[in-house]
Formats: sequence, C-alpha cells, structure tokens
Amino acid sequence: MVYTGTMEGSLFEPTLYIVKGMCILDSDGNRILAKYYDKNIMPSAKEQKAFEKNLFNKTHRANAEIIMLDGLTCVYKSNVDLFFYVMGSSHENELILQSVLNALYESVSILLRRNVEKRVLMENLDSVMLAFDEICDGGVILDSDPTSIVGRAALRTDDVPLGEQTVVQEILDALSK
Amino acid sequence: MSSFKRDKKEEEDSGGSPYANLDKTIVLQEARYFNETPVNPRKCSHILSKILFLLNQGEKFTTQEATDAFFATTKLFQSKDVMLRRMVYLCIKELSQIAQDVIIVTSSLTKDMTGKEDLYRAAAIRALCSITDSTMLQAIERYMKQAIVDKNPAVSSAALVSALHLSSTAPDLVRRWANEAQEALNSDNAMVSYHALGILASTRKNDKLSTVKLVTRLAKSPLKSPYALCLLIRLAAQLVENDDSDAAQPYIEFIECCLRHKSEMVIYEAAHAIVNLRKSARDLAPAVSVLQLFCGSSKATLRLAGARTLARLTAKQPTAVAACTVDLENLISDPNRSVATLAVTTLLATGAESSVDR
Repeated sequence: MVYTGTMEGSLFEPTLYIVKGMCILDSDGNRILAKYYDKNIMPSAKEQKAFEKNLFNKTHRANAEIIMLDGLTCVYKSNVDLFFYVMGSSHENELILQSVLNALYESVSILLRRNVEKRVLMENLDSVMLAFDEICDGGVILDSDPTSIVGRAALRTDDVPLGEQTVVQEILDALSK
Repeated sequence: MSSFKRDKKEEEDSGGSPYANLDKTIVLQEARYFNETPVNPRKCSHILSKILFLLNQGEKFTTQEATDAFFATTKLFQSKDVMLRRMVYLCIKELSQIAQDVIIVTSSLTKDMTGKEDLYRAAAIRALCSITDSTMLQAIERYMKQAIVDKNPAVSSAALVSALHLSSTAPDLVRRWANEAQEALNSDNAMVSYHALGILASTRKNDKLSTVKLVTRLAKSPLKSPYALCLLIRLAAQLVENDDSDAAQPYIEFIECCLRHKSEMVIYEAAHAIVNLRKSARDLAPAVSVLQLFCGSSKATLRLAGARTLARLTAKQPTAVAACTVDLENLISDPNRSVATLAVTTLLATGAESSVDR
C-alpha cells in the first residue's frame, strides 16, 4: 500500500475500492438512504449526518454537478425534491464517480417510471434499496448499466408469474420511449 | 372510481409516507408476522424494508433486538418470492453486523448459491461471503471457484467481488482462485473482466514480476471495459514510476495510446497518469491538450477534472501549463465554485499577473 500515503499530485491508486459513499437526500437535506463504505471515514451515523447536512447546504441551491468537500469529491444531481450524491476520495478519477452517479440516478428513475420525486420513491423504497445494493458492494462498483441493475432490482413476483419478466419488460419499454 | 382512488391517494399523502415516524419497537413486533404460514411476500417485504430503513437512518439496535429480528427473518426462506428473498439477503447483510449466531443461515445461502435461480445465486453469494469467516471459507471454496467462472455475469461478478473482500482476511485462500479469475478476465462482460483484473492485481500486489507479466500481456490486447482499462493504466503507471529505464517504454506507449480511447473516463485516466509521469514539456503536450479540451466542456465534472490535473502540473512544470492560460482564465467565473477556485489558484501560481487582473 505504498500509494495511499502519498500526497497531492500523485498517481491514482490501483484499487477497486473507489466509492466512499452514496446517498439520497430530500428537499430538507434529510437522509432517505445512505451508505458509507470506508470505515476510516465517518464511522458513526452522527458524523455521517453532519456531513450530509453540510453537503446539502453547499449544494442544494446551485446545481453545479461536483464539489470538493472534507477531503472527498462529491458528484451530485437533483430532481424535484430529491438529491442524489456519490462520494469518492479526492485522489480519484472524477469521471468514474460520475458514471456511478449516472447509474444510480438512471436506475432509480427507471424504477420510479420517470417520476423522480420523494413520494414515489418512498412507495418503492424496497426496489431502490436493492438498486443501491446492485450498484456498489462494499465500495466496489458492481454494475453501472441501469438496465441490468433494474432488471435485478425490480422483480415483483406476486404480480407476475415466476420466470415471466413482464414488469421488467414494461419498464424497459418505457425507457426506450 | 378513478376519483375515489385519487381521494384515497391524497388521504395517504396527508398522512405522510409509510416510513414517517417509524417506531423501532413496533416494527420489531411486526417481524412476528414472519412466523405466519403461508408467507405473505408483499407484507413481509414491506416490514423488512422498514427494518432496513431504520438501520439506514442510524437507529441503534441492541444485540438482542438484532438477533431476534435476524432469526425471525430466517423463517422467510420458505417463501420462493424473488423480491422477498432479495430483501432477506439484504437484511442478513445488515443485521449480521450486530446480531449473534448469524452463521445459522449458511446452509440456506449455500443452497441458494448453488440453486437454479440466477437472481438468487448472485445475491446469495454476496450475503454468504459477508457472514462467512476464514475457517468456514474452505467449506464453500469449491462453489466459489465454480461461481467465478459461471456464465451468468451477475454470478461471476458477485463471486469475484466477494473474493476481493475476503482477500483481506484470507489472502492465501483467495490466491488459489487465481486460475478461475484469469479465465473470468476473458469474459465478454465488461464488469466481469474488470472485477477479475481487480482480483489478479490485488493478489499480485507484492509480486512485481508477475504484475509486469500481467500488464505486459494486457497492454498488447487491450480490454474492452473502460473501468478495467482505467485500472490497467494505474497498474502500468505504477510500474513506470518504479522503473525509469527503457524497459518501461511499452507501458508509456500503452498509456499514451489510451489518450485516443472513445471513453472520456479512460482518456482522463491516461492524461492524469502522463501528467504525473512524464518530465519534459514535449512529452506532456498530448496529455495537456486533452486536459485543455476538458476545461472547455459543458460538463462541470470534466472541467473540474481538467482544471485540477492542470493545477497539479503547475507545481511541477509551470511552462507546460502556459499554453492553457486562456482556458483557465475562462474558468475564473465558472458557475461551479470548486472549478473557479482551482482556476484562480492555478493562474496565481503560474504568476501571470495580467490574467488575474482581467
């Protein structure tokens, strides 16, 4: 681990552990869902929520896509009353973080059938939790393709007989429109 | 009829979301429904998501509470509902951090991991590896090896990423899976080859010779996945940094070649590496002109990436950044404050007073 200690101006570290955290906040900056993957940063809920408040205060007015905060690079995107964030180390390729944010936002958007707002998200919270789990595993990017993420997170089998993925198909159709 | 529905909807709205003001004690009592047969998947899934929501909000569960909830959850394995099963896995992962005797689900998860339903398999592997310790790992080793080379990409990726997590506690065991990882590296699926390269790189971390072999071979037949390419660039850059001789020339060539890739992520990764490796302004020129283009992008993330890497270069090679003065000046009034700040500090460091005046 020669590269972790080196300072500003260094090469990116060859690791798969790229995502430090992901969260969705509401229009008051309150947490809807959040996951932090590095036990060395923000180990307790108290610190995490303080960080989220700070992050929200600095980002909710200007939709400026990216911010450097507390040694982290945070990419973000908002819609109606929801704010999506992906965090990584400040020594990380920003465009990789952006690709994770795109995957998160697009997956949720498909799951909510393009109604990206808090009320609809709360009604589908279980699917969104599964999507979180499909995108990132312990800080490693597991998948970044929204259609395959949704395909694995959206199955409702009491509506559909097992094996017939009509719900997913319907969602994918909606996506292609 | 439809207006009736809408009224009902509005009524629900005024009552807030089903997750507003949840009480932990009540939710944990609701977990008793899990004992009912037959299992009602919708209802149970909803209760599980309430438990997960509370945990996610930072609510503290005692060991006893978590253990009780965990054991109640294991009852749900009798339902075959895919969505419910996936929520059960998620709960297992979250509660296993607090609850006791979580290894009780090992056999259920092993069964799902080797079963027919692909959607169970991938998620079951990840849940299983999160509760498994290194002593139990040997019992599932055979299944892990099979899963790594499985033709379903989700299964293969799940096994590879789980193996990577396990390699911090059981490095020797995971090293024995290198042949399977090597096979997965050739997968057509971008994520599978990325995860496989991650495992191979991490098991060779302290073995320079085998890292050289790996990078040399892959640099000749580049990988399709942009993520994997970024990792390969990092590995190559590391080799160059540790070896100044001509032997490093092929790695430099490979990285420079990546400047022409179609993915911005890869282009930036290559430019960043070159900026940190090359010394003469002439060698830096192709990377600098890429970063210059980034500074003019409509996407803030690209502008920031470009400006930040140029800012770093300024400290080392101010002359190389001189060509970008105008581009950086344009960023002084950037709507993104991080970008604007970077541009100002960079221009101050290059010492071009005239540009700051403007």
